Amino acid sequence: MTRLVRSITEMEGRFEEKWVLVSDDEPEAWASDRPLAIVGHETPRTTGPTRVSGAARYTTDVSLPGMLHVAALRSPLAHGRVTGLNREAALAVPGVRAVLDSTDTLSFRSRSGPLYAEPEHAGALLAVVAADTLVAARAGVKALALTIDPLPFVIDVDEAFRDQRIDGEIAEESRGDVDAALAGADVRVELTVETPTQLQTALEPHGAVGWWTEGELTCWVSTQGIFDARSELAKRFSVAPERVRVVADFIGGGFGAKQGAGVEALLAVELSRRTGRPVRFINDRHGEQLDAGSRPATRQTVRLGATGQGDLVAIDSEVLTSFGMTGWRAVNTPAMTLYRCANARGVEANLKLHLRQGNAFRAPMVLEGVTAVEQAMDELAITLGIDPLDLRRRNFVDVDQPSGLPYTSNQLLACYDRVAELSGWVGRDALLEPSEDGLLRGMGCATQIWWGGGGPPSHATIRIGGDGIATVVTGIQDIGTGTLTAAQMVAAEELGLPLDRVRVTGGDTRPNVYGPVAGGSQTSPSVLPAVRGAAAEVKRTLLQLAGDVFEAAPADLDLVNGRFRSSDGALDEPYTEVTGKLGNATVDGSGMRGANPDGMRANTFGCQVAQVAVDPGTGEVRVEHVWAVHDIGRVINPLGARSQVEGGILQGMAFALSEEVAFDPTTGVPTNAWLDDYKIPSIADVPAMTIAFVDVPDTALNNVGAKGLGEPPIIPTPAAIANAFRHATGRRALALPLTRARVVETLA
Amino acid sequence: MRLTLLVNDERHELEIAHTARLADVLRDELGLVGTKIGCGEGACGACAVLVDGRAVNSCLLLAAAAEGHSVTTIEGISRDGLTPLQQAFIAEDALQCGYCTAGQVVAATALLAVNPSPTVEDVRAGMVGNLCRCGAYPGIERAILRLGQVAPA
Amino acid sequence: MSVLRSGYVRPTSLGEALQLLAQPGARPMGGGTDLAGLIDRGIGQVATIVDLQALALGGIRGEEGRVVIGATTTLSDLLDAQDMLAPYTALLEATAQAASPLLRNVGTVAGNLCQHTRCWYYRGPEWTCWLGGGDTCYAQVGDHRKHGLQAGDCISAHPSDLAPALIACAATVQLGSAWGDRDIDLADLYRRPTATERSLVDLEPGEIILSVTLPAPPDSSVYLRAGERQGFSFPLVGLAAARHGERVSMCAVGVANTPHVLDPVDPLAGLDGHPQSAWKRTVLATLVERSLATVAP
Ligand SMILES: Cc1cc2nc3c(=O)[nH]c(=O)nc-3n(C[C@H](O)[C@H](O)[C@H](O)COP(=O)(O)OP(=O)(O)OC[C@H]3O[C@@H](n4cnc5c(N)ncnc54)[C@H](O)[C@@H]3O)c2cc1C
Ligand code: SF4
Ligand code: FES
Ligand code: FES
Repeated sequence: MTRLVRSITEMEGRFEEKWVLVSDDEPEAWASDRPLAIVGHETPRTTGPTRVSGAARYTTDVSLPGMLHVAALRSPLAHGRVTGLNREAALAVPGVRAVLDSTDTLSFRSRSGPLYAEPEHAGALLAVVAADTLVAARAGVKALALTIDPLPFVIDVDEAFRDQRIDGEIAEESRGDVDAALAGADVRVELTVETPTQLQTALEPHGAVGWWTEGELTCWVSTQGIFDARSELAKRFSVAPERVRVVADFIGGGFGAKQGAGVEALLAVELSRRTGRPVRFINDRHGEQLDAGSRPATRQTVRLGATGQGDLVAIDSEVLTSFGMTGWRAVNTPAMTLYRCANARGVEANLKLHLRQGNAFRAPMVLEGVTAVEQAMDELAITLGIDPLDLRRRNFVDVDQPSGLPYTSNQLLACYDRVAELSGWVGRDALLEPSEDGLLRGMGCATQIWWGGGGPPSHATIRIGGDGIATVVTGIQDIGTGTLTAAQMVAAEELGLPLDRVRVTGGDTRPNVYGPVAGGSQTSPSVLPAVRGAAAEVKRTLLQLAGDVFEAAPADLDLVNGRFRSSDGALDEPYTEVTGKLGNATVDGSGMRGANPDGMRANTFGCQVAQVAVDPGTGEVRVEHVWAVHDIGRVINPLGARSQVEGGILQGMAFALSEEVAFDPTTGVPTNAWLDDYKIPSIADVPAMTIAFVDVPDTALNNVGAKGLGEPPIIPTPAAIANAFRHATGRRALALPLTRARVVETLA
Repeated sequence: MRLTLLVNDERHELEIAHTARLADVLRDELGLVGTKIGCGEGACGACAVLVDGRAVNSCLLLAAAAEGHSVTTIEGISRDGLTPLQQAFIAEDALQCGYCTAGQVVAATALLAVNPSPTVEDVRAGMVGNLCRCGAYPGIERAILRLGQVAPA
Repeated sequence: MSVLRSGYVRPTSLGEALQLLAQPGARPMGGGTDLAGLIDRGIGQVATIVDLQALALGGIRGEEGRVVIGATTTLSDLLDAQDMLAPYTALLEATAQAASPLLRNVGTVAGNLCQHTRCWYYRGPEWTCWLGGGDTCYAQVGDHRKHGLQAGDCISAHPSDLAPALIACAATVQLGSAWGDRDIDLADLYRRPTATERSLVDLEPGEIILSVTLPAPPDSSVYLRAGERQGFSFPLVGLAAARHGERVSMCAVGVANTPHVLDPVDPLAGLDGHPQSAWKRTVLATLVERSLATVAP
């Protein structure tokens, strides 16, 4: 039976109550001690062969007959007013079919933009040109011969704060009496640190191919959420969702930046509607680095008060975020939740700056918050003379303090113990002995907290036919996280079929099987339980059919590794004996993610330790080793999970060492919006990594026991590195990243 | 301008702009879209192809300059099924989103051709021009080293 | 003689190439890895690309204690000639760290020596800076954290790893043009730009590098550099040192808009730095100290 119930859903810490469809037939969670044949075992990803052979088709690869190509004209100033655009000249370029700028009335609804006459950030779209070839489109852009007058702009935090350029209300949350507790604390520390603007830099830029035919809309989008993209397109162009098909077979990374349809899809569709041709709009790298979003820079001041034994009595955090003109606020989440503390206050303001608006980037806001709070905790440990890990253990808390609700599971203490053991944490001061190579070494740690429980709605269907192949249909898109492989594993496990008998699809809205956006570490814990539900239904039917074929009681039968077996072992037949009789008929099952448990919060936890070596003479910081232990509930695929953690650590490491947007103070334009100047890590930068999980299923959360893993591994890495730098050098850099310039200046 | 390109052992007569890049010609004229463009400025290696057996950035190479040379793309490498290197990539999970993967495979193929048993340092030096934003580097390193171990001494 | 046509030409004889290059708007191309980027970002007028690949200007040969490196020799070719170049340690070390293997397979020695600055204002389409023909050195009023330490109209940082290694090893370059050949010290290939000559390379129009010649090797040499990450990064500071008997010559990049020969007595002389680039002085001082220790007898 299916029912509609009210349930709390969560996305990146934003909670919402919704009506959701749930099933009474949902399987029980796998017990923690139940041995599983496929789940929990290293499994290569299903899409491996397609990807390694170059056969995978990304949005950038979609090419249709008669397709037009789009080139964009972007603002060369942080703030300006367009005074001239020569549309006639652009239209006169051979091959140019259409030009759009801010003076055109677009057929989709938009609050502002997406084509601006008064751009408020560098790289903002001013016009787009569609032409038979990209070369012609670029020539068209050049022919537009933009003239633009500069207007005053603000990108400087101090200037913006002085002028009180604040977006909306200043957010304040608090509990207890922070001022009194701080005043009465035995020990106080205060730390102000800055975090940089980091660019997602997915290797496949944002892009879309739009094709409008007779009121039907097909759109290939490099997006993390095909259903969100579909709703957005349907709404903006006023067409029924059923008449919109969004396809994203392969996505070349997203890291949070590729939400919904995006401006590229909107404009591609608009241009297609006007020209009657399919239209492809792919950002070039400069456009992508300028105008695809970012993790906004922050300045944070954290004050901690504690007893002489190290019990926190006050946490006070003030955050300024350089979000662009508007944004959301969540940087104080770690300050309010990470440690047990009766008196806590978080104040957070977004500054209105002439910057491209920030957007989601892997663990948005929480990574920034942890980076500051965990450095302050390190200072507190130093002031108290307490082992930093012991300080954290001492302040462990097993409820979500703002809501007062218990966690569905929390293995943080086990993470601390394991990471200490793996890294040799207690002996870390031996690193401070002078070394032969003249480098200064040190070790630091940091704690991770993030949501990642997922929730409804999320659906899956499974169909098995005469060929014995079970096809899992999902509405999720695999942005590289291996979710489809995990879905294949869960289906095979539940069905009792070998992996190669199960196929899994996603990335297409046409089957109309809803899946959530791939983000917020919620995809796996949302979709995998739905897949298992669908598999359970198919299996029930197959056992019924086997009962008919083998003249046995279905309750006495099981399907294991592709064979029907009776409990006494007398019957042992290949499953194809049953499916082979289906002919053209199919056995179908559908599943849906159940509601989240009432009165509980689902979070992931973890701790990382980093070891760095610092060369004071050249300012070089090398991360030598990172030890990571996370609690993500049940680990579905250890192979894919390890890759996720490695990737997260590397992005976190680069946030601490090399990635930051540099802005020209005279024009407000980023100077390094290219891939040669914006330094993401190379293979030569990879540290040794020791990765472990406290693999305890979260049976309260969902029927597979899994929490999410996309965000957790990036979160503690920067603070662990910053703390290791402090341990090694005795100095704290007040801003990240630890570039050579900053290190030399910090150690001077 | 007119030119003849030898790609994956096939000869193609083409009419292109003299500043056209090999990557664009491969993708747009020849439909060989396995070669990816990540930056167009030589900084990422997603566009790597073999020219006379050496891995190069096809996004910076003028197609005109490739005339008279033999170009091999990921499609050419995969023509007779997955190579042991590609299989090792899968086994070691040397990819996440896969956008950089064709370039990684091309660069690693060239590396192993001249150095069949590379050390970790050789792999890092040899693969440094191929960026992976997903951070699949540890798997890439393991996959290439695994090949080295099975290669004949 | 070829008739100049707009586009791409690949001459097969040096005479033909030099005739072509004598025409206005003609630009020599080695591997094109820098030229392609300049064309993309609209820097300079390139009417005709003269591809030098078919001129047999490549290759490395040893003659009478010297080594002659042809202009179109790729950086990878240098690394493949370990045996012949082993005595010039600094050059091999510099080449191995330059760019990436993919770029080294195409990038040529002459192209590397003549590559344009990576100054982000010079390369960014949003600005037309002084060196690019405009009025303002945006770096001096803007963000110059990666720039040079010298005062002047243009504070860009020279990007080539090969240049300092070759200069420390006392290399000369052989130049050719339709008007004749000349042979100069590599250090003299570079000049500080002036209001009328906004170029950092001192070549006559139509003149190209034919080869680079290394004299008898130094007794020992080394190249040390500081990049932005562990691999595949332009040098923020690069330093080559070569000892010839008692004398050590040192040449640095990343600190001035041309390769900068250091005064052995006062290596940081003239390199006072700008507010955001002064940190490079510490790095340079460290590299000087370490390289001297390495090349010491
Ligand atoms: C992302 C990236 C990273 C890089 N990192 C580094 C690095 O770390 N260290 C480093 O040293 N280099 C680095 N480079 C530069 C790279 O090594 C050069 O692009 C390459 O060496 C230039 O060689 P080319 O033959 O391709 O030059 P081309 O592009 O062919 O030419 C460059 C310039 O030299 C001129 N030229 C070419 N040949 C001659 C000649 N014979 N005589 C006179 N002028 C000539 C051209 O007209 C042009 O102006 C990097 C490049 C890129 C794109
Ligand atoms: S440093 Fe030189 S290249 Fe850079 S902005 Fe100034 S003048 Fe232009
Ligand atoms: S696309 Fe060629 S190097 Fe990035
Ligand atoms: S796998 Fe995504 S960029 Fe390498």
